[in-house]
Parts: sequence; C-alpha cells; structure tokens
Amino acid sequence: MPAKGILLSSSPHSFTPVTTSRMMLSVIIALIPAVGYGVYLYGFSALALILVSIVSAVAAEYVFRKVIKASTTIGDFSAIITGLLLALVLPPKTPLWMVALGAIFAIVVAKEFFGGLGANPFNPALIGRAFLLMSFPAAITTWSMPNGLALAADVTSTATPLALVKQGAALSDVATYFGASGVGGLFRQLFMGYRSGSLGESSILLIALGGLFLIGLGVIQWIVPVSVIGSAFVFSWILGMNPLFTILTGGIVFGAFFMATDYSTRPLTPVGQLAFGVGIGLITVIIRKFGGFPEGVTYAILIMNIATPYLNKIRVKKYGYVPPVKPAKPSKEASK
Amino acid sequence: MAVKTFRGGAHPPERKDRSSSLAVERLREVKQVVVPVNQHFGAPLQALVKVGDLVKRGQKIADADGRMTVPVHSPIAGIVKKIEPRTQSNNSDGPCVIIEALPPPAEGQAAPEPEDLIDFLPPLDAFACTKEEALARVRAAGIVGMGGAGFPTHVKLAPSKPISVVIANGAECEPYLTIDERTMTERPEDVVEGVAITMKIVSAPEGVIAVEENKAHALPLLEKAIASSPRTRSGMKIRVQLLKTKYPQGGEKMLITAITGKEVPSGGLPMDVGCVVQNIGTLCAMVDAFKEGKPLIERGLTITGGACKKPVNVIAPIGTPVADILAAGLAQVDDEALGMVIYGGPMMGVAVPSYQIPVQKNTSGVLLLNVEESKHYDEETCIRCGRCMRACSCRLSPALLAVALESGDYVEAEKIGLLDCIECGTCSFVCPAHRHLVQRFRVGKQVLRAMKQKEAQNAR
Repeated sequence: MPAKGILLSSSPHSFTPVTTSRMMLSVIIALIPAVGYGVYLYGFSALALILVSIVSAVAAEYVFRKVIKASTTIGDFSAIITGLLLALVLPPKTPLWMVALGAIFAIVVAKEFFGGLGANPFNPALIGRAFLLMSFPAAITTWSMPNGLALAADVTSTATPLALVKQGAALSDVATYFGASGVGGLFRQLFMGYRSGSLGESSILLIALGGLFLIGLGVIQWIVPVSVIGSAFVFSWILGMNPLFTILTGGIVFGAFFMATDYSTRPLTPVGQLAFGVGIGLITVIIRKFGGFPEGVTYAILIMNIATPYLNKIRVKKYGYVPPVKPAKPSKEASK
Repeated sequence: MAVKTFRGGAHPPERKDRSSSLAVERLREVKQVVVPVNQHFGAPLQALVKVGDLVKRGQKIADADGRMTVPVHSPIAGIVKKIEPRTQSNNSDGPCVIIEALPPPAEGQAAPEPEDLIDFLPPLDAFACTKEEALARVRAAGIVGMGGAGFPTHVKLAPSKPISVVIANGAECEPYLTIDERTMTERPEDVVEGVAITMKIVSAPEGVIAVEENKAHALPLLEKAIASSPRTRSGMKIRVQLLKTKYPQGGEKMLITAITGKEVPSGGLPMDVGCVVQNIGTLCAMVDAFKEGKPLIERGLTITGGACKKPVNVIAPIGTPVADILAAGLAQVDDEALGMVIYGGPMMGVAVPSYQIPVQKNTSGVLLLNVEESKHYDEETCIRCGRCMRACSCRLSPALLAVALESGDYVEAEKIGLLDCIECGTCSFVCPAHRHLVQRFRVGKQVLRAMKQKEAQNAR
C-alpha cells in the first residue's frame, strides 16, 4: 500500500486536452493565409511590419511582467496574436518605429494595465491602432497599391475604395480606379483581394476561410461574425448604401472574425453576443455614412467593448427557470 | 429509435473498454468488513450492536427514527470487534462497525446451520401487498440510491405528486465505470422487474429504461426481457430509450429532460415533472429485497483504471475494504504506477488516500489511476472563451458565476443560479485554463446555504 505519492484533489479528475495556448495557436494558424497573401501583395515591407509588431508585443509583455514581478505569460501566445492583429490593421507602409510603438501601447496600456489576458476591457490591437491613428493621423491614413515582392522604393500613395466613396465617387468610378471591369468586376476583385488597404482587409476570401476554420474548430462561435456582417449588410442597405460594397470593403469581415470575437472583450452570453455584433455593424455603417472617417470598424468594436459587461447580464434562462413570484406591492398605508 | 439527449455537456474519454466485457464476479471469502453506520443522505443512525455481539448475515446493525433514515445491515455472519471512526469513501471519518467473520468450525464441532447465520426478511410479493407494506420493505431492506448520492429510496418512492414515468438510469455516463452496463446485460429480467415494482409503488403508467448509445448492445437483451416479463404481459408499459453518449447524460435532471422534454423546476424534485429516476443497481437491490427478503448487504462495482493491471466488475459485501478484493486476486494493482485512488467515477468521484477504504452502498466503482491519468494542471487565468457556458448542462454561465463568487457577490451568484448547480464538473473538465470552477461552486453553495440559514434565523 503506497502511502506517498497519492494525489488528492477535488473532482473532476479528468481534463480536456484543449489548452489556452492551443486555442491561441489555432488563431495564429487561421491568420496564416491572410498573412501570406499580404506578404505576396506588399512584399518584404509587409513581412517586416508583421515581425516588428509581433516582436514588440511579445517583448513588451515579457518586460512589463518582469518589471511588475508577475509570472511570464508569453507562453500562452496571446501577445503574438495581439502583435499580428495590429500589423494586419495598419497600412502596409507604416513606419516600423510607429508599429513598435503601437504594439507596446497595445500590450502595456490596453492589456497589462488591466491585469493581462482575459481582464482587458478593450481589444488591445484596436487600441493600438486607435492610438496610432490619433497620434499620427497622416501616416496611418496613407495607403498604397500592392507592389508585389518588388523591392521598389518609390511607393505611390493612393486611396482606399472606402475613401473614394467618402469623397463622393460612384462605384463605377471606384471600379475604374482599381482597373476592374464594371461594378461586378470590382466586387470580384475586392473579394479576391487586389486593392489598397491594410494587410488584413485584402482578401475577403482568405480571411473568411480563416474565420470558418476557427468556427469549425469551435475556437470561436458563429454568432458574433454573422451578426456583425449581417447587420452591416442590412443597415447599409437601409441607409441606401450598396450592402455588398459595405461588407467587401474595409475591415468588416476581418473585424467580424478576428477582432469582435476576441474572448475578453466580447460578451459571453449568446444573446449578449448577438446584440454586440448588431451594434458593431450598426455603428460601423453610421460612421461610414455620416462620420468624418471613411472607415469605422475600429471604433465600432471599441464602443461595443464598453457595453460588454452590461450585455453579459442578458443571460440564457437557466435550466428549470422559475419566474420569481413578484411580491404584492405594498399599499401606501402600509409603507407609511 | 430516435436517440435523445440534452443541451450542453462534454465528452470525457470513456475508457470503459477495459472492463466492459468482463462478467461480474463475486467476492466469496471475506475475513473482515468495516461497515459505515451512515451510508445515506439524511439523518445519522445509531449502532444497534455492541462489541462482542454475534451478528447474522442480514441482521440490522444500525438504525434511527425519522423519515430520512435507512437502516444498515451486517453483510456477513460474524462477531463485532470494534465500533470506531474510520475513513469513509467521502474521505472523512465516520463511525464504522467492524465485524470479523466467524472462523470455520473447529475439528469435531458441528458446523452451524446456515439458517442460524442468516437473518433475511420474509419474501414479499410487491404486486400483492399494499403501497405502505412495499415502502416499509424498501426501507427495512436498507435501500438507498446506489448511483452516488445515497438518497433514501423509500422517500423517493413516496412522492407527494402523481408520477407519470419511472426512468431506469442506465446511462452510466461516468467514464471507466461499467457495472451498470454489466448488470443490464447479465440481469435484464431483474432490471425490468425492478422498474415494474417501482411503477407499482408510485402508480406510474409508464416505465423507461434509458441507455447510452455506447451500451446499445444491451438493448436487445432488455427488449427481450421486457417482452417476456409477466408484468408487461399483464399490461404494464415498459420501453427502452437510447440516449446519446454524453456527460452528464446520467444526471437526474438531464435524463428527465432527454426523455420527457420537461425541465425539473429550479429548487424542485423530479416528482414535480412526474418522474422517478432509479439507478440500475438500486432496481436489482429492490428485486432481491422483495423476492428473497435480502437487505442491501452487497453491491456490484467496477475496479479499474490505468494502475489496475487486472480490472474487474465484482459483487462485494458492503464494508469490504477494496484492498481485500485486490488481495483475493479478483483485481490487481500496480502500486508503483498508482497516482490516484478515486471512489466513484473520474468526473464526480472522491479522491482518497488509500484503497483500504470500504465499499459503501453508493460505491459504484473504484478507480486506481496511474500517474499519467492523475495529471493535474495549474490554474491559469480565465480567458473568457465561453467553453464552460456552452458545456454547462444547467445553462448557468459558469464563467460569470465564478467572477461573482470571487468578488463575494452572493446575490449575483444566486441570481445566476449557484444553487441550481448539480456539481457535475463539466465546466472544470472543458476549461482550457483548468480553472477550478465546480470546486468554487461547491464551496460557494455551502457558504450561500449557511448565509441563508443565518438570515432565516435572524428573521425569526
């Protein structure tokens, strides 16, 4: 009878093989097609952008947690995701020092100041982007056409499809601008990915594939992406915009699959998630239609992040729910 | 047949194949038993014997007045050696009656007549006696729910509301355990008879034997037993229902929802939706109690696990230290590899420090896990992935419940449904950060109950 080495613990004594780092790793894998295509479109500068962002984010987390004498958490891969996501929502030719600054801000201010993984109220990558957009509005709104793997230094700045529409261009003008044959050709081109914009909004096809991969694995659920894209479609249609153009341009699809589904900043309850997604779609469309910026996904998600704790109150009815018996209203005499 | 189930749940590795094909064996020679005085959910009992007493097999050795009490009987003929606290399968000490078996008669001495050593009740026809007689028999035979909680069966069978369906719980959703599966394949007639007796006592028009899909091979045997049963020939309606293999399918509430589509109201009992759920072992014990007058003095259990070189499904007297079953050679343990000893299943069972602890009325299995199977993980931070929210069979939002408990907000915790938690452990199982969710809820439930009690006292 062995007396030593027998482990005592409270049940359950069986555990799922799924771990935090495994789930995070699957998100990184899901982003690989979009990353690969981005590098194909913008060449080594895109690769440098991504690497600088990831390294800065991971280093920032490591150093910050060392400084505050907390346990090292870079092994959960979440800092890699933050860095990667930030790189994918910035203009491909953003100066690298800005990228590093944004990544550090995202990790330190938006994530670690609140307690690290799972405790941050706002999406760190989007806070990083918003910070850069406020600090360097010119750089973060300077876009360029894909120049392939060429190491050409002369980059011609250009406008995004959304910016063109904001300036009053018709869809046929946008099609001409991007060399597409007609509006149908423009949509096909936007779906496949050849256009100006951030790395992450290039190919709707590859981003959606990555998202579907995560849904298939059960790492993210369909409610948030479907409600974001669906509500953006419906609300833009109601406001007289082209709904297909709305979801094919900008960061709607990328935001829906990879930003709005961020665990810590989206509601946990299904109905809460639905309201969250619809809110993002609505705010995005309102910013695009009436706001000063051509694109509004970043702010839409950050605004809805604020609502998350309240949306968590919309819970599913528990098993065997019995509505509480309302106590009879005390009469005025009794309350006196 | 449509396969039914409930919403949520998880799929822990089953690992039943090691013992599922082993026929039930019987432990015959027992030198000593350690019979816990309290083996049921309810008020404590008093030992009725003293040290030095000769007790017969089946003799009542502990009892008490009160509705929520169930007597305990001696599983062997022998001499009471000691009455002292010993560690029970819930890992806390409780009074136990230690009985030593009578030595074989000395040379030249006449062996005692078997009748002198056995003290069973007279047989009783459950279908000819009154409901009161039947309930009295169930209590007198010391029958409790053998699936885990040890709830007094005579209380369960005296519901204050009309019952429309009796469910035999053959789900056996806990991984590793196979004793119910073996009982259903080896004693299908008794399972059907037990359902019929239960239906008779609670006047239920329908009986359902619920079986998970991984035990579908028991289906034809059960159906044959139903078809040939004199009870169904005389008009009783009993059927088999296949359920999806999913944890916690065998939870009382989940089982009822899967079969009837109804939900047991919060704070209520199965009878509130017209159901009575009985464990397979309990049904067979009831059949024995009526047919042979035999009290609940032995039970079947599975001894298995990675450190168990030779697993077994075995019927052993209540009070047998599991070490003695191993010593008898029915099962073998690899002490070198042993990492954990669990009484019950891996999801809800209790980890104990030794396999010396005796078998109880509610011990459905003993797991001897190896070091690999006993692997535990450090708790990481909640990443709010929501896996527990989708897995919770009671739809309780475990992630939010844990936050409420950690901040000491018991009002919010109760609103979310802390007291509705069935402690199945699915949330802790699916958590990628290995959060101690159900563990927190267990403690939280006790704290909240104590708070409410205090409040009620202050209000008085």
